[in-house]
Amino acid sequence: MKKTARLIVFCFAFLMVCSLQGWSQSSPAEAFKNVTIHTSDGNSIEGGTIVWRNGVITDVDKNVDIPFDAYVRDGGDSLHVYPGFIDGHALWGSPDIDEDIETPGEPGNPGYGRAGIQPERKPSELLQADSKALSEAPKEGFTTAALGLKGQMLPGQVDLFFINGKKTEDLLLEQGVGVTAQFEEAQGQAYPSTTMGIMSQLRQLFNDTKALQQQEQYFASVSSNYPAPKQNKVLQALYPVMDKQQPFYFVVDTEENIERIFQLQDELGFEVVIVSGKEAYKKAEELKQREIPVLASIDLPEEPKWRSEEEDEDQPEITEEIRIFRDKQEAAYKADIQNIAKLIDSGVKVGFASNGLELSEINKNLMTLKEDGDLEDEEILQMLTQSTADILGYSNQLGNIDEGRIASFTVFTKPFMEEKAQALYSITDGNLTEFEQESSEE
Amino acid sequence: MKDTEIIMTYLKSTIIACLLVLFWGMSAEAQITQKAKIGKFAITNATVHTVTNGVIENGTVLIRGEKIVEVGSDVNIPAEYEQIDASGKYVYPGFFDAGTQLGLQEIGAVAVTNDQAELGDFNPHVRAFTAINPSSVNIPVTRVNGVTHVISMPVSGRLAGKATLIDLYGYSPDSMAVSPNAGLHLNWPTSKKGGWWDDRSDEEVAKEYKEDLKKLNDFISRAQFYDKMMTDFENNPNNKQQPDMDEKMQAMREVVKGEIPVIISVDAKNDILDVIEWTENYPDMQFVLAGVRDGWRVADEIAEAGLPCLVSTLYTPERDYDNYQRPYQNPGKLHAAGVKVAIATGGVENVRNAPYHAGFAASYGLGKKEALKAITINAAEIFGVSDKLGSIEEGKQANLFIADGDPFEPMNHITDVFIRGNKIPMVSRHIQLYQQYLDRGAKTN
Amino acid sequence: MKKLFLLILTFCFSLTGFAQEKGSVLIKDGTLITIANGNMSNTDLLIEDGLITEIGEDISAPRGVETVDASGKYVMPGIIDAHSHIAGVDINEWTNPVTAEVSMEESINPNDINIYWALAGGVTSIHLMHGSANVIGGQNETLKLRYGSGMNEMRFEGAPRTIKFALGENPTRVHGQGFDVQPRTRMGVEQVIRDHFDASIDYQRNRQEYLDAKQAYEDGTRSTPPVPVAKNERLEVLVDILEGEVLVHTHSYRADEITMLMRVFNDYGIEDYTFQHANEAFKVAPELKKNGAYTSVFADWWAYKFEVYYSTAYNASILNANGVKNSINSDSGELIRHLNHEASKAVHYGNTSKQDALKMITINPAAQLGIDEKVGTLEVGKHGDVAIWDGHPLSIYSKTLKTYVDGKKYFDRAEDADDMRLKVDAEQDFEEASGRWYNENGRHSETCLRGAEIRFSKNGMKLQGN
Repeated sequence: MKKTARLIVFCFAFLMVCSLQGWSQSSPAEAFKNVTIHTSDGNSIEGGTIVWRNGVITDVDKNVDIPFDAYVRDGGDSLHVYPGFIDGHALWGSPDIDEDIETPGEPGNPGYGRAGIQPERKPSELLQADSKALSEAPKEGFTTAALGLKGQMLPGQVDLFFINGKKTEDLLLEQGVGVTAQFEEAQGQAYPSTTMGIMSQLRQLFNDTKALQQQEQYFASVSSNYPAPKQNKVLQALYPVMDKQQPFYFVVDTEENIERIFQLQDELGFEVVIVSGKEAYKKAEELKQREIPVLASIDLPEEPKWRSEEEDEDQPEITEEIRIFRDKQEAAYKADIQNIAKLIDSGVKVGFASNGLELSEINKNLMTLKEDGDLEDEEILQMLTQSTADILGYSNQLGNIDEGRIASFTVFTKPFMEEKAQALYSITDGNLTEFEQESSEE
Repeated sequence: MKDTEIIMTYLKSTIIACLLVLFWGMSAEAQITQKAKIGKFAITNATVHTVTNGVIENGTVLIRGEKIVEVGSDVNIPAEYEQIDASGKYVYPGFFDAGTQLGLQEIGAVAVTNDQAELGDFNPHVRAFTAINPSSVNIPVTRVNGVTHVISMPVSGRLAGKATLIDLYGYSPDSMAVSPNAGLHLNWPTSKKGGWWDDRSDEEVAKEYKEDLKKLNDFISRAQFYDKMMTDFENNPNNKQQPDMDEKMQAMREVVKGEIPVIISVDAKNDILDVIEWTENYPDMQFVLAGVRDGWRVADEIAEAGLPCLVSTLYTPERDYDNYQRPYQNPGKLHAAGVKVAIATGGVENVRNAPYHAGFAASYGLGKKEALKAITINAAEIFGVSDKLGSIEEGKQANLFIADGDPFEPMNHITDVFIRGNKIPMVSRHIQLYQQYLDRGAKTN
Repeated sequence: MKKLFLLILTFCFSLTGFAQEKGSVLIKDGTLITIANGNMSNTDLLIEDGLITEIGEDISAPRGVETVDASGKYVMPGIIDAHSHIAGVDINEWTNPVTAEVSMEESINPNDINIYWALAGGVTSIHLMHGSANVIGGQNETLKLRYGSGMNEMRFEGAPRTIKFALGENPTRVHGQGFDVQPRTRMGVEQVIRDHFDASIDYQRNRQEYLDAKQAYEDGTRSTPPVPVAKNERLEVLVDILEGEVLVHTHSYRADEITMLMRVFNDYGIEDYTFQHANEAFKVAPELKKNGAYTSVFADWWAYKFEVYYSTAYNASILNANGVKNSINSDSGELIRHLNHEASKAVHYGNTSKQDALKMITINPAAQLGIDEKVGTLEVGKHGDVAIWDGHPLSIYSKTLKTYVDGKKYFDRAEDADDMRLKVDAEQDFEEASGRWYNENGRHSETCLRGAEIRFSKNGMKLQGN
């Protein structure tokens, strides 16, 4: 604990220096040596060295000339370095939904906010930096995340952050990488209360946005005799989506809801990234054809209990009816956990999104994906790193360990997919955080 | 539709209307006050389905006062008997719906017309008999379809109250009741989660189920104690202080002594199995199951326990993975295992569909003969009134009807209905509106 | 091995791809209930590539076409349910008195087990309706019961658009009593309709003026730019109704509200409409006939609320005798399982002829949905939507043996199995899954107003009304 505290003080001081003199050529380099370096394509360099300076990786290889001014940590040949994992849509640090709501005077006309139409909300302005998730995520290997907000149909924008505990709020990488959308009805008694209502509402929003934008253009083009457009932050926040400069990050799971997005996309012409997509494999061909990437959920179903139970364990008799039921259940289970593998096989770009999944579930579920989900270690790594970076538009800066990339990586005690692998250091945007090692007896 | 067809349809309907008016012999308005006739009737030349003694071709049924006095193919008809020629027609015992809220509820959505749900969990002392509305518009609508008597019961809480067995004719509950207290309705505390609104965890559900069962058991053992105490006192009050009266406990006495059955509403398989085990704790009491939608899954166990079942057929399968036929097959499968089944629609305004519940049961495994028993004699036996109801036999109450064909077939019609010897006017709101509006004749605007 | 399993799985879960495949079949020697031309005994029916191509004797099967022996059996057009809420995700967007913009087309749940159960009752098409909470509710969608296909493949291609209106207790209870929002009375219901029609007429004019001005501005024939009038999803639909592009199906019970709506529709020139439920339609049968209005009624439902207390099960027979085109619908996941039986009640109550009773579940609902050129009778050129019955369909003892949609078999009693669900929750074990989807998910049940009756509050569920 003491150590961590000291580290935080150190980091804080370091950060201050950085922020004052971040452009200075003379800031010292850092390095790890004698570590196994895993790259996102699944290759590894044993006994390697990694050097970074000013938040950028300057050298990675087996034999590296470590600069004289580099502070070096020796991995003693037992540590494993992975590119920082990227979460394509996380809700870490988002304010919770206010459950204490009233029925509007006219439930059919609740106003944008009450209806859950809030595309103007920005995580960067609302971030709860002291949220536990932001300090826990680096321990799971995450160094970057596109943060969204909790809410209803249009809960807000998606902002890309380097993740580093409380400091995250100062580590905004990009504002407005997209706008989150979901088939989530207004709370309580208010329009829209149905999926079809959300569909209609989205169309009407686009109509109104288009009209406002048109009026603004007209207003700007004339010198007199034209009414001023009414400012509307909600609709204005949708301009980039309507103009295809920002995609919708559409949180969706079922086959039918994915088809509903296709329908809307055809009509309204927006770019879209699917978030979660638990049944996306059923629409893999069309997703590929439309070039829609999926930031996949790994919120996997629990394995049916009976699969691991002993045969004669005081169980009720397995009737024909139960047998048929179980066959279907097992098929559904397998289909669910093979979603990602099938998407990848079909050529769909698949990244990762926790989208509300507890951090503690992530490692366990990655194991399941490996065991039953038809995915290899390197496919999982790729999904967590380079693929997600590609989807977020940071192919060459994030997602891998390579010269010139942003120095965001994690140092584990073991290969990260192995049991009891623990993160020792998290380097986000060049800043190092050291974690206290949990004793293995725990 | 071609014009000629329209004219033909119109003519046909006009003729039917004229015939109907002739048949009743008076205007629609007058029929509202039409009285039932009681006296001496001879139904002749009929095919009589006695249920208990086979089918009598070309048979006669003599009715005098409230009773059937003779049934046979070779019956001497005294001159004073009004003859009803039923050539080509069929006589059946009046149908018995063994589970309804008829007379307790008038209009579902109008709360003030709902008398079937009292507040409180343990209400053995509330009685359906008390609140039967003899003027319910639902009653004539039901009886003209051949349903002549029903069990009507309270529905809310754990012990909902006493069910009553009534004839569907009379001017007061007293004049309608066959058994004022026919049974005690128990809603089994389910171990199954309610639905999406039920946010209890599995553990909480199990815990509450256990608690509910304990309350029920405690209530019954208190009632057993009370009955024993009162019996002791009644047998020999000397030197004993008179115990205080407890209406609820008093109402339980006939139940714990097994004089009237406990009607247990239960559907889920595991709950049914629990009920079976539970009833074994009370060997002196009588039990009947009602609903029993998963019954086919545990038919053998129910048969072994000797528990009769009140069932229906026109509902959707209980579970999404159930075969589509299960509701229709349930009575047949229960019967095949040796369970006595009786039809109970659970309805109010559409108790008149009871024959169709039986028809579906007949079609899906029960067979016509057993289905007929399920809607007549079986329920009479279950509720201990087979000496009065359930078949066409000498000495029984004259609850019967005449039909122009198999009454399970909706395409056929009931032409005459007798309830407790009363020849019922074939009038109901539905028929009156038909007569009034078939050919309305007023100007269109 | 793993790959093989995957392949099988992929096949199982991609039925969608095969959904709209049309089938061919020769049904021989059955008694054809043609609806159009009476009954034809010992007659063959040939369906090729989804369409009826031949009706007659001694038809021989074209190469590769399966022959089904129907001797001693009845063959009838697939039953059409003009009022259904099965196969829906949400039913009621109950938050506003007018929600014309929403459409059940976007609320289809193709995985609903009720679809299979309806097929087992000989039903091939349904009118998936919006609920009755709003005066002008959402648009409905006509479906074919292609169980196992995707959401979009369920749609009845070429069926006209329809919309739900609702009068009486439901909208006044939900909005007036529930929210203090007009209408609370039948007087208010009328004005909500008139106000919105008026608004849509104004909107149409303003929108068109804007579009014209915009064009003129862009063409340079107008100097100042116009102020945009945004496209309005709700009013656009109302404009379409006024232009006759959308058939109106109105939830209604009382005679006074039925005549009110006919007056309003006459004022606005709306012609093609059906009264749904219409328990008191029998009182105004001549007026309905005069206006060419259709009715779609329950066989015998009544007394569940005050506005259906003054009812008669003879409604269908009275309407039919007065020349009103009437259908019998289910509005229920239960009644849809035996609509043939519901139709037979029209014979029981009022002696409607068997043929007319059968029309009430075939060609009449087809006419009300505007699909009578395609389905509803057995005639050459119509869709191969048929069911084979083991006895006369109006008999309570008759069962559906096979049901075909577009010549493809979707139900076969001989091959029927337990557990016909399409979608399975991997996490639910046998007992955990022992409920009904509707109960588990609570979005709606198979009947009309559930979505509006049950309200959420902070303290959980609250029943509105009673």
